[in-house]
Amino acid sequence: MAIKHKDLFFDYPEYWPKPNYDFSKLSMSENEFQLGRQLFYDPILSRDNTISCASCHLQATGFTHVDHDLSHGIDGRIGTRNSMTIMNLAWNTSFMWDGGVNHLELQALAPISSENEMDETLANVVDKLNESKKYKSLFFQVHQDSLVTGQKTFLALTQFVVMLNSYNSKYDKYIRKEAGGDFTEQEKNGLSIFRENCASCHKEPLFTINEFKNNGLKVDTTLNDYGRMLITQNSKDSLKFKVPTLRNIQFTAPYMHDGRFETLQEVLDHYTADVQESKTLATELKKTIQLSHIEKVDLLVFLRTLTDKEFLFDKRFSFPNNNL
Amino acid sequence: MSYINKQPKFKLDYIVMFLLFFTIFSGASQNSNKDLSINIVTSFDGESIEKDKWYVTKNNDSIQITKLRFYLTNFVIQTEDKKNDSIFNSNYLIDAFNKETLKIILSNTNYNKEDKLLLSIGVNEHLNTSGANSGDLDPSKGMFWSWQSGYINFKMEGKSPSCKTRKNKFQFHIGGYQKPFESIRVLTFKLSAIKNNELTININIAHFFDALQLSSQNQIMIPGKEANDAADRLPQLFSIDE
Ligand code: HEC
Ligand code: HEC
Repeated sequence: MAIKHKDLFFDYPEYWPKPNYDFSKLSMSENEFQLGRQLFYDPILSRDNTISCASCHLQATGFTHVDHDLSHGIDGRIGTRNSMTIMNLAWNTSFMWDGGVNHLELQALAPISSENEMDETLANVVDKLNESKKYKSLFFQVHQDSLVTGQKTFLALTQFVVMLNSYNSKYDKYIRKEAGGDFTEQEKNGLSIFRENCASCHKEPLFTINEFKNNGLKVDTTLNDYGRMLITQNSKDSLKFKVPTLRNIQFTAPYMHDGRFETLQEVLDHYTADVQESKTLATELKKTIQLSHIEKVDLLVFLRTLTDKEFLFDKRFSFPNNNL
Repeated sequence: MSYINKQPKFKLDYIVMFLLFFTIFSGASQNSNKDLSINIVTSFDGESIEKDKWYVTKNNDSIQITKLRFYLTNFVIQTEDKKNDSIFNSNYLIDAFNKETLKIILSNTNYNKEDKLLLSIGVNEHLNTSGANSGDLDPSKGMFWSWQSGYINFKMEGKSPSCKTRKNKFQFHIGGYQKPFESIRVLTFKLSAIKNNELTININIAHFFDALQLSSQNQIMIPGKEANDAADRLPQLFSIDE
């Protein structure tokens, strides 16, 4: 068995919690990272070779889809949900809006295969990769074995996406008291409004508690998506969705699991005026959040400090520009 | 101030695990030598399972079976003193239509005729939650759910005019590892039936349909109570030649 060279460092601020993901199956090698990057941007992963992961997860928008509220492209449940951002995934305890996927390495199975036809599909992808000279050689570089398997394909994708970490926003620099991290009065005020009203769910530093909550959205009767309940089959989970991170939120519109809001202004209007009472509504939201016009503006200004341009424009994460 | 936490990666763990595995394995093989060969025979009340063949269930549903795949895992030989002699990496995907999968060889086993063979129908919880696995557990085998993570422990598909579904299809995908709907089931056999180091396990699919009216129940696609109830019936399908 080849002991793999570990030349990638998984970096994160030391005051962050430990990642939840167990890295032991990854080679942590540059080769596997680059292989994963190729796969992420390659439509070879779709049935008809038209859609890549990047079709729905664009780097410049925090790896989510901008123009559509409901992601297009593949049948099955995916068509009824808004694409999610991909960042800091090693800290997630589950994946998807309803947490249906229990492990990062298996997340890609959902977009690659649709529910009823899955038996063939990943197997076909693996066949296609096994027929590709380019991929045989890339897999060989990682495993000293050119045979492509489902497991190796998923590990490579994981090696890429798990490195997509965002921790260099203005907010992060403010917390670390670094250059570029000077908050204006407005931003400071926005942060304290945030901590008072939002942080119970969107908790720093990852801006999520990794739990499922009903944040009071009106049920869209054309979709009737009950979220977490689909997975647990427990009515206590009705209308609960994963609390998403708010990092890079300025660029990840549209918002919510069904992409119903175009702007952050609308999101704030929801939290302050339109929260729907129901059996499963989060206790944190039972009492209406009251914000003046000025407070809302300050909060919006603060949310922009979560933008991490270094991450959004990091060339290592972009479309691989090569002639392989 | 340095805020970057550089983690030395997992090289060491690999070596340690590898060595550990090796010691256990070689230790176990020292006092054992027999290969136990297990034949899996699937049938419908004694008739062999073939793709275009028609069968009639107890409730008079005519059926054809187009797919029959399931996991047999966690093979353990239990001696009388209850010292378990488990067989490593014993996760097998059985496919009734693929001969190669119908023979399982447990190598270097150490057993007596008084011992018992324990095995499970389905995949254990740990393997359901430990990410992308290899071999028969590889996600490309089509036995892993995509929208709700977890292995399909037992998959049977086919056709019956009794099913008022698209193309008269029935689909039973039985799985789920989370309480209270864990669908893995344990089987116990006496090893007294072993002849020439061979054991035959019969799986009579007819029993799956004994308590089933296909017109009303013809789809199980997610974990839950229905899958759990169906899993309860699975052990009845299995028997050994005594
Ligand atoms: C057709 C659009 C589409 C494609 C293609 C697509 N995704 Fe997604 N992605 C989504 C949607 C929609 C969700 C949320 C799904 C849900 O909650 O049901 C999502 C969720 C995710 C998540 C979960 C993030 C979290 O925090 O839980 C990850 C990771 C992800 N996708 C990675 C990928 C990878 C890797 C690929 C390529 C193999 C890919 N996606 C292809 C639309 C897409
Ligand atoms: C009770 C927990 C809770 C509280 C408190 C809360 N949120 Fe949320 N937030 C959620 C959940 C859950 C979602 C996802 C809901 C969905 O899509 O169905 C969400 C979604 C969002 C989104 C959309 C993110 C995306 O990627 O689509 C934004 C923006 C947001 N919240 C901002 C805020 C702000 C600002 C506050 C404070 C005023 C706040 N939230 C308070 C639970 C909460």
